[in-house]
Amino acid sequence: MIKETEIKPILQAQELAIGYADKIVAEEISVEINAAELVAVIGINGSGKSTLLKTLTGNLDPLSGKVSIQQKSLKDIAVQELSELISIVLTETHFSQNLSVEELVALGRQPYTNWLGQLSSEDKKAVQQALELLEITDKSQRKCGSLSDGQLQKVFLARAIAQETPLIFLDEPTTHLDLYHKIFVLQLLKRLTRKTKKAIVFATHEINLALQLCDQIILVNQGKIIQKTPEELIKSNLLQELFPKDLVEFDAASKSFRVL
Amino acid sequence: MQKTSLYLLSGLLLLLVLLMLNISLGSVTIPLKDILASFFNAEVEKETWRYIILDYRLPKAITAVLVGSGLALSGLLMQTLFRNPLAGPYVLGLSSGASLGVAIVILGGAVFGGVFSTLFLSKFTLVIAASLGSVLVLLAVLATSFRVKDTMALLIIGLMFASLTSAVVSVLSYFSPSESLQKYIFWSFGSLGNLAWQEVFILAIFWLAGVIISIFCIKNLNALLLGEKYAKSLGTNLKQNRILVILATGLLAGSITAFAGPIAFIGLAVPHLVRQVITKSNHLVLFPAVALGGAILMLICDSIAQLPGSNLTLPINAITSLIGAPVVIWLLVRKKKLYF
Amino acid sequence: MKKIGFLFALILLFNCKEQPKNTSSKTSTHAKAETVEISYAEGFSITNFEDFKIVKVNSPWPKAEKEFTYVLAKKNVTLPDTLQFDQKVTIPIKKIVVTSTTHIPSLESLGQENTLIGFPHLDYISSEKTRALINNGKVEEIGENEHINTEVLLNLNPDVVIGFAVEGGNKTFETVNKSGIPVVYNGDWTETDPLGKAEWIKFFGAFYNQEQKAEEIFNEIEEEYLSAKKLAQQAENQPSVLAGSMYKDVWYLPYGNSWQAQFIKDAKANYLYAETTGNGSISTAFESVLDKAQNADFWIAPGSFTSYEQMQNASEHYQEFNAFQQQKIYSFAGVKGETGGVLYYELAPQRPDLVLKDLIKIFHPELLTNYETTFFKALE
Repeated sequence: MIKETEIKPILQAQELAIGYADKIVAEEISVEINAAELVAVIGINGSGKSTLLKTLTGNLDPLSGKVSIQQKSLKDIAVQELSELISIVLTETHFSQNLSVEELVALGRQPYTNWLGQLSSEDKKAVQQALELLEITDKSQRKCGSLSDGQLQKVFLARAIAQETPLIFLDEPTTHLDLYHKIFVLQLLKRLTRKTKKAIVFATHEINLALQLCDQIILVNQGKIIQKTPEELIKSNLLQELFPKDLVEFDAASKSFRVL
Repeated sequence: MQKTSLYLLSGLLLLLVLLMLNISLGSVTIPLKDILASFFNAEVEKETWRYIILDYRLPKAITAVLVGSGLALSGLLMQTLFRNPLAGPYVLGLSSGASLGVAIVILGGAVFGGVFSTLFLSKFTLVIAASLGSVLVLLAVLATSFRVKDTMALLIIGLMFASLTSAVVSVLSYFSPSESLQKYIFWSFGSLGNLAWQEVFILAIFWLAGVIISIFCIKNLNALLLGEKYAKSLGTNLKQNRILVILATGLLAGSITAFAGPIAFIGLAVPHLVRQVITKSNHLVLFPAVALGGAILMLICDSIAQLPGSNLTLPINAITSLIGAPVVIWLLVRKKKLYF
Repeated sequence: MKKIGFLFALILLFNCKEQPKNTSSKTSTHAKAETVEISYAEGFSITNFEDFKIVKVNSPWPKAEKEFTYVLAKKNVTLPDTLQFDQKVTIPIKKIVVTSTTHIPSLESLGQENTLIGFPHLDYISSEKTRALINNGKVEEIGENEHINTEVLLNLNPDVVIGFAVEGGNKTFETVNKSGIPVVYNGDWTETDPLGKAEWIKFFGAFYNQEQKAEEIFNEIEEEYLSAKKLAQQAENQPSVLAGSMYKDVWYLPYGNSWQAQFIKDAKANYLYAETTGNGSISTAFESVLDKAQNADFWIAPGSFTSYEQMQNASEHYQEFNAFQQQKIYSFAGVKGETGGVLYYELAPQRPDLVLKDLIKIFHPELLTNYETTFFKALE
């Protein structure tokens, strides 16, 4: 019996196998992401975090199984429709340095603008809100080529927010930020999930912060992908197995990794 | 936004002024009153002057506007599509294809059609040969574009086609008599003043088609400024966009090369020159700005090439590069960071 | 015994006498030098000595800084040691290679066309006599693209190669020289005087020991030319003349001091660009030509066009000219040999009299009523 209050997941992956033509990265994946959730994807370098994200966002075909967005199969969703469902933030820096901050954030509105890309007043409002949220309104006219890496990351985040999609995927969104801004951004993401009911999924190395802030953790380790809440994850011993034991260990009491 | 509108408006005014100037200057000095009289069907001191103004200088000026704006626009298209500041309208091998077509007619006719080729080089023969050559290369590029995932690969493929056609032209040149070689080289110098009204009209039609198609690409090109991954996430159909952009460039640069020969430099330099003035990245603004800039530069270069007052004229290609290159160097050396 | 001894001594004495003849030849040969009279040509000179001739070419190409000295002598003649020359040619010539169609008429008038064994681009040759030789396989094709096939030329082993250069020496010719075959430069194409160009037949005459015949032929041409020129003076008017044609929107026409322009003047017509001087062709803007020559009475030598339709297809600007509308355009491009060689390029330099008469017929038809033009024909 399906309860009326049962929440339908925004994103669902079933029996998923991901990888490339010559290599299976992980298989038998089952993942469920619900609205208003902050989900971190963690794993060591090269474990397959990026592959997972690419597959879930439709940039890489799964080797088998399927991904559904709002109960619709991902491969049946047209590119245009998908742009209103998923927005991304990548680590790539190869973009036009001549764009101003405002112009870049405004590009996030493309799924909604007319055939010439002109912004309506509604679009302009969304852009302003995104800028305010990331506290970069004062920099709106500066060229992106003149920004620091950290400022740039905020700009790309603002762009994704301006795209107003129920799902946002971020690949290592806090790499260039100092500790304060790392926490600032992650807290912002959490607030967004609560306020706008967005589902936000991000790959990260900030395991300590992720455990403290996220609703769900997706752990990618040795070809296996496991989804648990932070509490469940800590209770299981999986985190102890994550890194080689000679330098670092997971301390369940403080719920953090410590240097030996 | 206001600043941009101001720039565009003054650009338009400058264009009109230069148009008048271009028509007024030439080897033969024609007084202003006779120039105006030619336009208004009034009496002119010498009827030849009316002919020179209306049937030689005016079509030449309009050709300059079409060529300048068309090349600049296709240069912008190529630079954005390939995310490369060094790209120009000929990066897909279009002018190489046209050169091949023309070489086959001019040089090949002399080499293969007996010592004295009976194929007479009417103007349309060359136009058609150049067009066929461009179309051939364009189709080859489009065909490969379907099978290639990476847009960058197209750039290299275009360059390879250019090398291939150059090689064939070299072989033809080696076997050609000097008269034919001279004809071919003169074609490659480019020429704006060779078009009758009928040809200007045909060029204008292709120009319009190219411009209209490129307008449909504006939104996608803006998205491409973030790179292909982001563009896709914003709803851009990358393959379809690639085809439209290549088609627009083919129509613009291909028809221009067919009628006026390969005109160097304008397509590559004008987008950069315009970006020094217009700081916006929105292609909705850049399109008219670049088109105006190209037309303006072309009119200036043509006026200079006419060497007003003297009987000599210089080949247009020499002027575009001689004037243009130092300007670009000067602009970039002014310690302004090149935001591309 | 004594007699033999005396004879022996005499012979010795005799031989001794001959040797000083070589060393002191400077004075003796100069005393016997005889310069051949050349009235119009400026590009060469011939000086006859007792057993050899010296031919000097001072204008193998325009602005040439060097003069070429060629010694022509019979096979066993010993030349003075002090004599300086660029090439020695053994005469009379039995096998010759020439490199320009302008050389062919000279050979034919001297009756020496069967000494021709090689030529680059055989198709250019129009003359029927020589074409017959070619068709019989007597003349070898030595042309290779724009160059001369060195191997084939060397294999022919001619007595002399009459070459021409546009600017400076030619690598192929140097190679040929090194192999022992003399290459002699013919600069007839740099002459601007019509009779001067024709006078180069004397140049060829020297190689075949046919100086007298050459002079006779030339004198006849000179006479015909001068009388035609005189006839032209009788004309009442002096029509204006335009020449040349466009490529793209640049007009190419001969300079006022060129060989072609000279004919127009001698035919009592006014070449609209007669005031210009220079080498090669003038390239000028279409506008200026239209402005200046729109009303020209006649238009000659419009490039390689042979019909009004062709001109129309090439550019609609041509129909603005009066001469086009009145169909007063005359071209030599239509008169061709069997294999497509334009006759004018081959024969006109040697026969300026025919060219002049052609033009007189065109400009002043009343002066030559029964004359049929050789080179210039009305455009179709």
